[in-house]
Amino acid sequence: MELSNNSSKGKLFISGIIPFAFLVILILYIFGPGSDLLDFGIPLPEITIEKVDFVDSEIQVTVRNTGPIPVEVVMADVNDRIRAAAVEPDGFLERFETTLVGIPYEWNLAQPYIIGITIEDGTRFEKEIEAAAPALKPSFDLVIFFAVIGTYVGIIPVMIGLLWLPFIKRISKQKYHFFLALTIGLLFFLAIDSIEEAIDVSDESLAGIFNGTLLVATVIVLSFLGLYYFGDKLVKKADSLKITKPVAIALMISIGIGIHNFGEGLAIGAAIGIGSIAFSTFLIVGFALHNTTEGIAIAAPMSRGKLMLGKLAAMGLIAGSPAIFGAWVGGFVYSPFTSVIFLAIGAGAIFQVIVVIMKWIREEGDKNLSSAAVVSGFAVGMLVMYLTSILV
Amino acid sequence: MKKTRSNAVILMIALIIGLSMIVVFSTLSEVELEQKTLVTSSGALIRTTGEIINPIDYSGEPLDFDPDSFLRDFNYGKVSQLSDGTTLREFTLIAEDDKIMEISPGIFFNVWTYNGATPGPTIRVTEGDLIRVKFINNGEKSHTVHFHGTHPAEMDGVFENVGPGGKFTYEFVAGPAGVHLYHCHVAPVEEHVSRGLYGAFIIDPKEGREPADEMVMILNGFDTDFDTENNFYAVNTIPFYHLYKPIEIDLHKLVRLYVINILEFDPINNFHLHGNMFNYYPIGTQSEPSSFTDIVTFSQGDRGIIEFEYKYPGKYLFHAHKVEFSEKGWVGIFLVKDNQEKNIQEIKYGT
Repeated sequence: MELSNNSSKGKLFISGIIPFAFLVILILYIFGPGSDLLDFGIPLPEITIEKVDFVDSEIQVTVRNTGPIPVEVVMADVNDRIRAAAVEPDGFLERFETTLVGIPYEWNLAQPYIIGITIEDGTRFEKEIEAAAPALKPSFDLVIFFAVIGTYVGIIPVMIGLLWLPFIKRISKQKYHFFLALTIGLLFFLAIDSIEEAIDVSDESLAGIFNGTLLVATVIVLSFLGLYYFGDKLVKKADSLKITKPVAIALMISIGIGIHNFGEGLAIGAAIGIGSIAFSTFLIVGFALHNTTEGIAIAAPMSRGKLMLGKLAAMGLIAGSPAIFGAWVGGFVYSPFTSVIFLAIGAGAIFQVIVVIMKWIREEGDKNLSSAAVVSGFAVGMLVMYLTSILV
Repeated sequence: MKKTRSNAVILMIALIIGLSMIVVFSTLSEVELEQKTLVTSSGALIRTTGEIINPIDYSGEPLDFDPDSFLRDFNYGKVSQLSDGTTLREFTLIAEDDKIMEISPGIFFNVWTYNGATPGPTIRVTEGDLIRVKFINNGEKSHTVHFHGTHPAEMDGVFENVGPGGKFTYEFVAGPAGVHLYHCHVAPVEEHVSRGLYGAFIIDPKEGREPADEMVMILNGFDTDFDTENNFYAVNTIPFYHLYKPIEIDLHKLVRLYVINILEFDPINNFHLHGNMFNYYPIGTQSEPSSFTDIVTFSQGDRGIIEFEYKYPGKYLFHAHKVEFSEKGWVGIFLVKDNQEKNIQEIKYGT
C-alpha cells in the first residue's frame, strides 16, 4: 500500500517534469551554440534614463540597458551640450544592467533640463526634466512635513466623510442602497484613475522591457485575488472574530482604500520631491476633497450595525494614514517601478472592495442589482468623482 | 482543515515570490556609491570610483584619423609635363562606404570615405594645370566626385553616377585660383556629404602666395543618430582634438588657413579667432582681402582664406561663435611659440 502510493507519486512527478524537459530542449535548440535559427534582423541597442538627481554642482543620471544587446555609455550631455562625466561602476552595460553617470554641472533651481546619454554607435537617448530641484534628503522636518500633508490628504478627509454616518443611518433601505451604489461608483472611478496613473508613470519612466501595461494588469489581478481570498475569509469568520458582518465589510473597504491612498501619498511625495511645489499644492487640495467621498464608502456598510465610534475611527486611520507612508516613500525613495506597483495594487484592492459591496447589496436587497436606487447611485458616484477630479 | 492549510501554503509562496520580485527589481535600479575625486580640464570636479568619460581626452589609443597629419598635408599628385609645357597632375580617389571609424572617444560611426578617410586627401594644384583624377568606386552605393571651380559639364560629377565597382576619370584644367572643395554629388547629396565624402581642393595662383605656415581646416560634423541634427562638430573630423593638442605656430610668422565649411543640416557655421584679427579672402579668388576681422560666417559649401600672425605668445582659442557647435567639438587652440627670442618671455606685463 505504502509502496504503490510512493510509485504513483513518482509517476506523477515524472509526468509533470516531462513537458518541462522538452521545453528546455526546445530553448537549447533555438538559442544554443551553433544555432543560427534566429540570426536575422538587426538588434537595436536601447537604454533608458530611469532617474535624474540634482545634487551639489552635479547631475546624477541612472541609466539602464533595456535593449537586447550589451551597450557602452560613452558620452553625456546637458541640454545637448557635450560634458565630461564620471560613470560608475563603468560604462559597459550588459542587458538590464545599470550605471550611474555623474555630470559636473552648475545647474539652476527650477530650470528645465534635457539630459542626453550617447552610446558607442552614436545613438543619443534623452530625458527631459521639467524643473531641476535638489534631491530631498530625509530630515526630521521633512518627515514631519510629509506626515502633516499625509494627514491633510488622507486621515482628515476620510474622517470628515465618516461624519455622514448618522445621516446614512436614518435613511430608508432604498436610499441606503443608493448610497452603497454611490460608493461603488466612487471606487470604480478611483480604480480607473489609479490604472491610468500607473500606465502613465510606466510609459514615462519605465523601460519598455517591463511591459508596463501588462505589469499593471498582472499586479491588479494578483492584488484583487489576494485580497478577495483573505477578505472572504474575514467576512466568513466575522462571527468567530466577534465582529459583525458590516464591520468586516467596512474593514475590507478601509484596507482597500488605505492601499489606494498609499498610492496617492506616493504621487504627492514624488511631486514635492521633484520640486513641482505649485503642482503638489493642487494635488493636496484635490485629493483632500476627493477623499472625503472615501469616508462615505466606509460609513455606508457600518451604518447598519450599532454605532461604534472607536472602530469607525480606527477604520478612518486604516484608510487614511497610508497616505503619510506613501508621501514618505514618494518623497525620499521614489522609483517609478515601486510607484507603478503600488498604484496597481491599489487598483486591485479597490476592485475587490467593489465586489464585496456588490455582494452586500445583493444580499441586503433581495438579490437585485438593477434597482433604480443602485443604478442611479452608481451613476451619481462616478459623476461626483469626475467633477471633484477636475480639481486634481 | 488540511485543504485550507495547503491553500495557505500556496498563498504564502505566491506572496513571497511577489514580494521578492519587487525587491529584486528595485535593487536592480540602485547603484552603489563609493567616491573619490578627480578634476577635469575645464576645472569641474568629478567624484568617481568608476571611469571618466571625457570627450576632450585623446590620451588613449590613437584614433583611425589623425588630425595632426591631415592639418598640413597637401597632395600635389603625380606630376609630369605635357609636350606643350602644361603640368599634368594625376590623382587617384577611391570611394568606400563601409568604414567604421572612431570619430570621438568611444563612438564608432560608419563614415563614407575617399581614400579611407574623411575628409579625403587635400588636392593641391596650380591654376592652369591639367588635372586628371582617376576615380574608383569600391563602395556598395553609387558615388561621384564633384569639384568646385571651372570645368566642362561632363566633368562635373553630377549626371555620370559611378556605380559600385565602377571607374571614371575626371580631367580638366584647374581654375580659378582659390580654395575650393570636392564632394560626392549622388542623391541624396545631404547623406553622401554628411557621411564624409568630401575634401579640400586648393588651386594656387600661378604667381604663388606669400610663404606662410599653411593649414587646411574643414569644418564638418556628424549626425550619428540620423535625426538630421549633428551630434558632433569639428575642425577636421575629430571633436575637441585641438583643445587636447593645440596647434603650434610661431610668433610673428604668417599663418594661412584654408577654411571650408562642409557642415550639413545647420545653415551656418563660423570661425572666430581669439586675441587677434585676420585678413579674410572669400573663396580665395581675389588678391585683396574683403575684411580685417576676427570672425567670419559661412553658409554651406562656403569657404575662404584666413591670414594672420600673432603678436604675443601663448594659448589662443579658435572656435565657432555659434557656441552650440563649439560645445559639441568645434573648438581648438593655437599655441603661439616664441622660438627665436626666449628673453621676450621675460617681459613683465603691466610694468
